[in-house]
Amino acid sequence: MSGGAELGFTEHLFKVLVIGDHKVGKTSFVKRYVKNQFYEELKTTIGVDFSMKVIDWDSHTRVRLQLWDIAGQERLRGLNRVFFKRSSGALVVYDMTNGSTLDGALNWKHELDSQVMLKNGRPIPAVLLANKCDETKVCRRNASLLEKLCQEKGFIGWFQTSAKENINVDEAAKFLVKHILQNNEESVKEEEQNMQINLKQQSKSNSTCC
Amino acid sequence: MAKLQSGNGVQRGTVESLAEHESSSLGSDSELNGFTEIQTDKYGFIGGAQQSTGENDNIPPDVLRQREAKWLDMLNSWDKWMLSVSLISLKVKLRCQKGIPPSLRGRAWLYLSGGKVKKEQNQGKFQELDSQPGDPKWLDVIERDLHRQFPFHEMFVARGGHGQQDLFRVLKAYTLHRPEEGYCQAQAPIAAVLLMHMPAEDAFWGLVQICEKYLPGYYSAGLEAIQLDGEILFALLKRVAPVAHRHLKKYKIDPILYMTEWFMCAFSRTLPWASVLRMWDMFFCEGVKIVFRVGLVLLKCMLGSQEKLKACQGQYETMELLRSIEPRYMQEAFLVQEVIELPVSERDIEKEHLFQLRRWKETNGELHCKSPPRMHGAKAIIAAEPPSRQDLKQNPTIIVEVPQTTESKMEKGKKAKSKMQKKTDMKNTSPPLNPYPLPSDPALVSDTLAPSESQHLQGSNQSLSSTENDTYL
Repeated sequence: MSGGAELGFTEHLFKVLVIGDHKVGKTSFVKRYVKNQFYEELKTTIGVDFSMKVIDWDSHTRVRLQLWDIAGQERLRGLNRVFFKRSSGALVVYDMTNGSTLDGALNWKHELDSQVMLKNGRPIPAVLLANKCDETKVCRRNASLLEKLCQEKGFIGWFQTSAKENINVDEAAKFLVKHILQNNEESVKEEEQNMQINLKQQSKSNSTCC
Repeated sequence: MAKLQSGNGVQRGTVESLAEHESSSLGSDSELNGFTEIQTDKYGFIGGAQQSTGENDNIPPDVLRQREAKWLDMLNSWDKWMLSVSLISLKVKLRCQKGIPPSLRGRAWLYLSGGKVKKEQNQGKFQELDSQPGDPKWLDVIERDLHRQFPFHEMFVARGGHGQQDLFRVLKAYTLHRPEEGYCQAQAPIAAVLLMHMPAEDAFWGLVQICEKYLPGYYSAGLEAIQLDGEILFALLKRVAPVAHRHLKKYKIDPILYMTEWFMCAFSRTLPWASVLRMWDMFFCEGVKIVFRVGLVLLKCMLGSQEKLKACQGQYETMELLRSIEPRYMQEAFLVQEVIELPVSERDIEKEHLFQLRRWKETNGELHCKSPPRMHGAKAIIAAEPPSRQDLKQNPTIIVEVPQTTESKMEKGKKAKSKMQKKTDMKNTSPPLNPYPLPSDPALVSDTLAPSESQHLQGSNQSLSSTENDTYL
């Protein structure tokens, strides 16, 4: 989704999902990223919450990021089909202090891939976030495990983050946006090529006609 | 105004961080930062978006006393009122629309919902469930949610405090009562609102009635019922506010995106508190129709004219608008009036339900979750399961035990004076037992709160909000 270009200035609008098991810190991550604030007590998300972050990417690109913070409880997933529609990327969050939420994150990724994909059929870019890293440390063995998981499950990368201590929050989001922008450029190019092919075909068929 | 003591031994929630959060709505209430006394509004809120501004909501005391008398009379011959076919039962509806007196709200909700009858017919059931350990799968989720329900309400602000303990007990009991259903996060605010008005056992039966009679299927796996109601709401909107309907359709805004929290929590997390209570008064009496009407009124007010739509051209902009509904549309008097006047009947909802169900089956196949049929309000519920007089008898909720010494005195042959004696003894010798003794109270430490309080959640037998001593008449 891109806005009109004016004097070489482009504005993009991307929908990014924030998903993962309940209580892993999705809402906290979003609040830190958008408002640069951290709250100890946040109410549970029922359904979906929305936030917007505007990023001046470079002198001629502005990105408007719509963050869809989706309820984590398994019971509430019946609605995901609606929430996932037309999203450009995802932040898949798990809680480093709660191992089972990593399995949860992989399930979320699986569900994501089964419901949304890019126009060219590839999965939408997703970053794995190991949140609450202020409370524990990733040892080297874990790091290589996460690396391997990313490759196997098709994440574009992973970050240890802490919404509380503001660690890697911007970096992780930036990494995702970079990939979304790349995908966007590629798909624009592909479209242009397709158009050219179409035009050529048209002109060919035109010439034979005449 | 009630005052809440802080630093009383029960670990307080992080009031400072709460104060930071939503600081705009707290205004200049600097008392929250470290002072020992916290002002609550008349509903027990110490802050947050739902705290009362106290502007408009004072009913003259004499009117209130009159209403209380009427309600007491009604509750005492409840079966006559509810089972009559004449205009009498219409009066119940009108009185619910006027607002149930706060002192009787808890009892009225329990009677209207049929929870009272369920409780009497299943005596000992809650205690039985309460004593079972519960499925760890659900306990884990429930425990993680306890401190995230109305963290601005004095009853729920303290980690491991009595409100959170009772919330745990009620939600756990439900997962044992309906193991196939388990726990859904949206049940927690519902249970919390009930607990603000009644003891844990009553709140449990209230929750059972809401989940099974008023909103069946809302909390079940797959959430089909809520999606269906989303479609019904959208279809009804076409008639109520065609402009709003067109707009939502144009930007492909699925009802699920704005109505999930509204409906699943029965607006308890959306409206200002005075409006929540008035809405729930009508909801218990008239059923889900009220939830639909509130939703329709809000959509109509926010998106009902071309002028309003100019500011929200786009999906996200519209969603934003619906998440920040103008206070004047949610204000008690306005909202109640609009809801009463909106011509959307039970029949309209049922008709649309059948139509949407057929459409659903065409696209998605059979429903995965077969829920019991929805009951439209108190009259339908009581008619389906007529109670005996015994079921409607009001028992005292709180029984103050006479201290042992007095009893033995009486056994020694002073029974003749017993009535008078009891009264004076209670007044003079020993204060009534506090259902929520503080851990610092030396006599009671051993059997109430374990030192590691949050680990071992074992609630008290009665729930009693300190501001609402008069709730359980």
